[in-house]
Amino acid sequence: MADIDNKEQSELDQQDMEDVEEVEEEETGEDANSKARQLTVQMMQNPQILAALQERLDGLVGTSAGYVESLPKVVKRRVNALKNLQVQCAQIEAKFYEEVHELERKYAALYQPLFDKRSEIINAIYEPTEEECEWKADVDEEISDEMKEKAKLEEEKKDEEKEDPKGIPEFWLTVFKNVDLLSDMVQEHDEPILKYLKDIKVKFSEVGQPMSFTLEFHFEPNDYFTNEVLTKTYRMRSEPDDSDPFSFDGPEIMGCTGCQIDWKKGKNVTLKTIKKKQKHKGRGTVRTVTKTVSNDSFFNFFSPPEVPESGDLVACSKCQTWPLSFSSLKQLLEQKKISNGICDDDSEAILAADFEIGHFLRERIVPRSVLYFTGEAIEDDDDDYDEEGEEADDEKDQNPAECKQQ
Amino acid sequence: MADNSKTEDTASDSLEAAKNATNKKEKLADQVMQNPQVLAALQERLDNTSLTPSSYIETFPKAVIRRIDALKKLQVKCAHIEAKFYEEVHDLERKYAALYQPLFDKRREFINGEAEPTDAEAEWHSENEDEEKLAGDLKNAVVIDEKAEETNVKGIPDFWFTIFRNVDMLSELVQEYDEPILKHLQDIKVKFSEPGQPMSFSLEFHFGPNDYFSNSVLTKTYKMKSEPDKTDPFSFEGPEIVDCEGCTIDWKKGKNVTVKTIKKKQKHKGRGTVRTITKQVPNDSFFNFFSPIKVSGDGESLDEDSEFTLAADFEIGHFFRERIVPRAVLYFTGEAIEDDDNFEEDEEGEEEELEGEEEGEEEEDAETDPKV
Repeated sequence: MADIDNKEQSELDQQDMEDVEEVEEEETGEDANSKARQLTVQMMQNPQILAALQERLDGLVGTSAGYVESLPKVVKRRVNALKNLQVQCAQIEAKFYEEVHELERKYAALYQPLFDKRSEIINAIYEPTEEECEWKADVDEEISDEMKEKAKLEEEKKDEEKEDPKGIPEFWLTVFKNVDLLSDMVQEHDEPILKYLKDIKVKFSEVGQPMSFTLEFHFEPNDYFTNEVLTKTYRMRSEPDDSDPFSFDGPEIMGCTGCQIDWKKGKNVTLKTIKKKQKHKGRGTVRTVTKTVSNDSFFNFFSPPEVPESGDLVACSKCQTWPLSFSSLKQLLEQKKISNGICDDDSEAILAADFEIGHFLRERIVPRSVLYFTGEAIEDDDDDYDEEGEEADDEKDQNPAECKQQ
Repeated sequence: MADNSKTEDTASDSLEAAKNATNKKEKLADQVMQNPQVLAALQERLDNTSLTPSSYIETFPKAVIRRIDALKKLQVKCAHIEAKFYEEVHDLERKYAALYQPLFDKRREFINGEAEPTDAEAEWHSENEDEEKLAGDLKNAVVIDEKAEETNVKGIPDFWFTIFRNVDMLSELVQEYDEPILKHLQDIKVKFSEPGQPMSFSLEFHFGPNDYFSNSVLTKTYKMKSEPDKTDPFSFEGPEIVDCEGCTIDWKKGKNVTVKTIKKKQKHKGRGTVRTITKQVPNDSFFNFFSPIKVSGDGESLDEDSEFTLAADFEIGHFFRERIVPRAVLYFTGEAIEDDDNFEEDEEGEEEELEGEEEGEEEEDAETDPKV
């Protein structure tokens, strides 16, 4: 029998290979490693060693300060030099985002003809040609011929029953109702008004102006207010904060302004009148008082809480610096660092939500409204917000310009 | 107008009426929902008609569906314009990479001791200066003896290695035997594809001379897709990493940490004889990063495990490009890691109840003048 011990697997006969069964495996070259592992295990069981390790860890973990400061002075110096370089990077980054903003403005002009056509189709100003309507159904939606016949009959019946509607009725109202973030804002009394919403446009600040974008809500003539357009402008910060340059992560919404709505008489859904009976504490007499209070309504969107403008970006003495990014706003809310005064909890929550909505309208709704109308985009967005610790959705992360609040 | 009856504070008449009506409605609804026959009928209805927006649309007249289809076609055109937008963003990134590069080159010089920062370049005041000094003094008190040696230390030792240790996503890849090799890592660069080339970016890992391999640079290239998929144009969200390529590492003899040798005893089924063979098998190592699984070219999809590994790889590539390389010092000190952690925590509990409370309708306020 040939001595075949210690031969490389690859050298062996194919025939031999088939007749063998694996008996046991030994690992070589790892003896040193296993010894080390054994030692480690022993060490970790020694309480004194554990205590010392723990102390060291406590000092190091989580505190960047601790680790860096423990470095030799001459190294620390170089780390500080790197930090200064990093500040310069942040300033260059700010310029990068300005140029991205310009690029967005340029492309907004390229999208606009398509959005204009969209608006014309929705509002029955333009009827698309056969060719323009040719759309293959999804492969998934293959229907049997029988079903198709049935559907056709039903449709013809429907068409007889209904008048031929113009455009795409209630397009934007439907979009609002399909999207949780928006439907949360819409009350019953808002719906008849939103039926008159014919278009939403995004406008970008011009070169040289402070970075901002504006949402324009275009309405058909209606019984509720005289404005043709309601606007909401979001102001952005696009420079690193001198006191905290490393927190800069791209432009952030920092404040917003609405517009005045010229309500027709008795039609202001943002107010309601209530009657109150009051009892005089002393005399015991009762009187009835009418009072006007604010009413929940989507149209409060155009009267957001005021964010005072300020050169050094501080809103009130009890607050951290303003502007706050959406995420840091939420953080402060959670940590209850925001107390009374200008910045009460409700205002903060409203503003944070408002910024999110403005951003969402700009980035998702306006550019892809038909997909929110049909519902296709809503499933996609749900994937984005999946919180259950699943692996990151890579596709969403690849955008170079990411989903930053621009 | 005083009413002399001693009534408690109550809601106005109209409000009360409204409340009563609502209460009645609610009671009725409750009753209905408890009737089994009604429930069964409701359930049948629900089963037959799903309430998704898409089925809602199927109820529309043909003319409207036609127009919706026209909007979809417009949307496809938008997706193609968007693809061009992202190409231009990529061009912009390439342009700015050139603007950052002098700063990154200087960074490399300081890290590797090729240059020493001037006093002006090294001046830094942080907000937590006092805190940090205290922490530093405490630490230094313990290691007095070592200090004398440390004035000779060059650059920032183990700079990139420390970053690997600090960042979970990376430290998970690093084995013990990788560590001595990683200490030779001097720089990581990001390079962008040129105009006209298919969109991609490369990570270049620059190593100092060492005992492990002869390459001075190890590269990983990530290929991207930046066009909407013809079969699913609406899923386009910008460029995506779709594939990656590593490089060959020229290991020095006996130093290849990506393979290990094992001995196996095998028994011949027929003859009963036993032999020992040695075999080379893959070994866990960070350096497998440079031999990624190939995305199959012939359209065959990978098994779940492989897909998962690839996805993780893409995430790492992206993270190097977007965060680590641009902000390395902040990952060295740990500042950026706290930021990243905070960001992740915020993702939970996104859905807050935002409605302000309804104004209470009862008030004890006899002092104020009535407002009419």
